[in-house]
Amino acid sequence: MNFADLIRIVWDNLKAHRMRAVLTTLGIAIGIAGVIAVVAIGQGGEAAIMSELESMGSNRYFEIGPNYMKNETADSKTFNLQDHVLIKELSPAVEKMAPITLGPMVDLRLPNSKEKPMMATLYGTTPDLLAGLNGSTEQGRFLTDADVTAHSRVAVIDAGIAEKYFPEEGALGKKIFVQDTPLTVVGVMEKSPSSMMQALSSRIVYAPITVAQEMLNTKVISQLCGVAVSEEALPQATSDSLKILEKRHPGVSYMGSTMEEQLDMVNNVTSVLTLIIGAVAGIALLVGGVGVMNIMLVAVSERTREIGLLKALGARRRDIMQQFLGEAVALCLLGGLIGMAFGIGGAFIIALAANWPPLVSVWTVLLALGFSAVVGVFFGLYPASRAASLSPAEALRSL
Amino acid sequence: MIEVKELTKVFGMGAATVEALRGVTVSIPDGDFMAIMGPSGSGKSTFLSVLGCLERPTEGEYYLDGRDVNSLEDDELADMRNQRFGFVFQSFNLLPRHDILRNVEMPLIYAGVSPAERRRRAEKLLTQVGLGERLKHKPSELSGGEQQRVAIARALANDPLVIFADEPTGNLDTKSSIEIMEIFQKLHQDARTIVLVTHEPEIARYAGRVLYFRDGEIVKEEANDELRRPDPDCLG
Ligand SMILES: Nc1ncnc2c1ncn2[C@@H]1O[C@H](COP(=O)(O)OP(=O)(O)OP(=O)(O)O)[C@@H](O)[C@H]1O
Ligand SMILES: [Mg+2]
Repeated sequence: MNFADLIRIVWDNLKAHRMRAVLTTLGIAIGIAGVIAVVAIGQGGEAAIMSELESMGSNRYFEIGPNYMKNETADSKTFNLQDHVLIKELSPAVEKMAPITLGPMVDLRLPNSKEKPMMATLYGTTPDLLAGLNGSTEQGRFLTDADVTAHSRVAVIDAGIAEKYFPEEGALGKKIFVQDTPLTVVGVMEKSPSSMMQALSSRIVYAPITVAQEMLNTKVISQLCGVAVSEEALPQATSDSLKILEKRHPGVSYMGSTMEEQLDMVNNVTSVLTLIIGAVAGIALLVGGVGVMNIMLVAVSERTREIGLLKALGARRRDIMQQFLGEAVALCLLGGLIGMAFGIGGAFIIALAANWPPLVSVWTVLLALGFSAVVGVFFGLYPASRAASLSPAEALRSL
Repeated sequence: MIEVKELTKVFGMGAATVEALRGVTVSIPDGDFMAIMGPSGSGKSTFLSVLGCLERPTEGEYYLDGRDVNSLEDDELADMRNQRFGFVFQSFNLLPRHDILRNVEMPLIYAGVSPAERRRRAEKLLTQVGLGERLKHKPSELSGGEQQRVAIARALANDPLVIFADEPTGNLDTKSSIEIMEIFQKLHQDARTIVLVTHEPEIARYAGRVLYFRDGEIVKEEANDELRRPDPDCLG
């Protein structure tokens, strides 16, 4: 029996019980839809987080902060404005280092504007931060050492803010009010390539750390951002920094984290999620598969006489086997296709809502279909072999 | 040439056994038209099943053209049924979900015949039994006599030498029965071997030889001196 004949026979048989076929495939459809949607959402989310993390710095980037595992939080004693300078001097592994004073929610508005201020994040920092960010200024310049020492009231804004406030005329030289302090825009950062980045964290204003500390009326430096001389020097740079800091600030506990560690953490979280959801989808597929097996057993006993006839006409064991396996696989593939439609639809809707790329890879789709075929073979095997091993005369006698 | 010796068939196990055949010995030369008669439960269908390789005998010998059938594997038996035998049943046994063209193509599919050749042969056979205009009809759209003609066309698909028919006219009216028997007569004239089970003496008279079964044994054998086409009136 060739493949086209097999398809045709399977199709005719399934068509005879349309409703039954569709209902049977429901379990498989739900399982496959779940798998595809979840993988797509996972991949989309991961891609979004990754690109955000990657935009934070190169593979030489590292951060030093208070050790939150020991419940340390940053206060005015954790870091001071000399720390980063000293670390850079003392450790040959550290190329750049910038402190950050963070204003997580500052009001941003144009002078003389009656509009509601927009919420932004203020990064008080030094020129070295630019090396840690994966990006550069699109217009103007970044902060300079002179800005920091002279307490210059200047700001570098990101592309999102520039687009909103100065859509046509260009931002350079314009004034913006941050927490009612006027700052002159000297630079605009280039647009982040990640749409997630744009959506979630595009409202950033960089100001000299000295100015930011005055504006926010704080001496707290929340973390140091560093860049090692090379990727290999990264562990050295981190441990040097920690040693120097612990000597300078006895009693404070610090911890360093590298880009890689952060990526690993994200990967861990997503792989655990994938595992859990994969297990749930697996159970759905299992239940669906048992449903298919059940309906195939029904089909075998309904068609016992017919099987006897096919054998009388010369069907070999393998022919009968193929026919019933084919039906089981076709049912599962049908479920897989239905599930795929819903899964891809769901993934797109969620990606649209969350504003990240809708990642439905060809591989996911092929894997899902392949998997439903495997489910079909696995759960079709027993009914099919039962059909194939019927004795022709006995099968013909059955009603 | 079909030769069976001391063929027995026992159904069931232990105390509840049924001896459907108790030592049947007969030989059927090529081109023979043989009818089998006998009361219900006498083992006629069982005998036909064993001859048609639909089931294996419990004991006894079976040679087809000198070849020991009992020693064949299941798949070899399947090929034998496909290539050498054609079956016609009382209840037609057509596949309800496929059109009649497909029904007739079924044995050709298992024989691995190409689609074009398959279709050509099936169409020709259906035309020969007078159903050339109804190729795309489902079996349920045909009368009983027409369905049995489809079944005969199907039995002939691989041009077999032997046709086994178990009460082929049992579900048909007189007129259809005569039509069917005329087809069998033609097949006989084409030098095919025909083994036919029937309850009706009028049908048995188409055969050259009649075996009478009782309790799983051949109790009587009669030869019809010449093939006669019975008067339709005495059939009713
Ligand atoms: N699978 C089976 N299991 C048990 N007994 C069986 C089986 N098949 C047939 N028999 C028994 O074997 C005997 C012969 O049956 P068979 O069908 O050959 O009779 P028959 O001559 O064809 O009868 P009828 O004219 O009614 O068709 C019967 O007693 C029947 O009950
Ligand atoms: Mg019978």
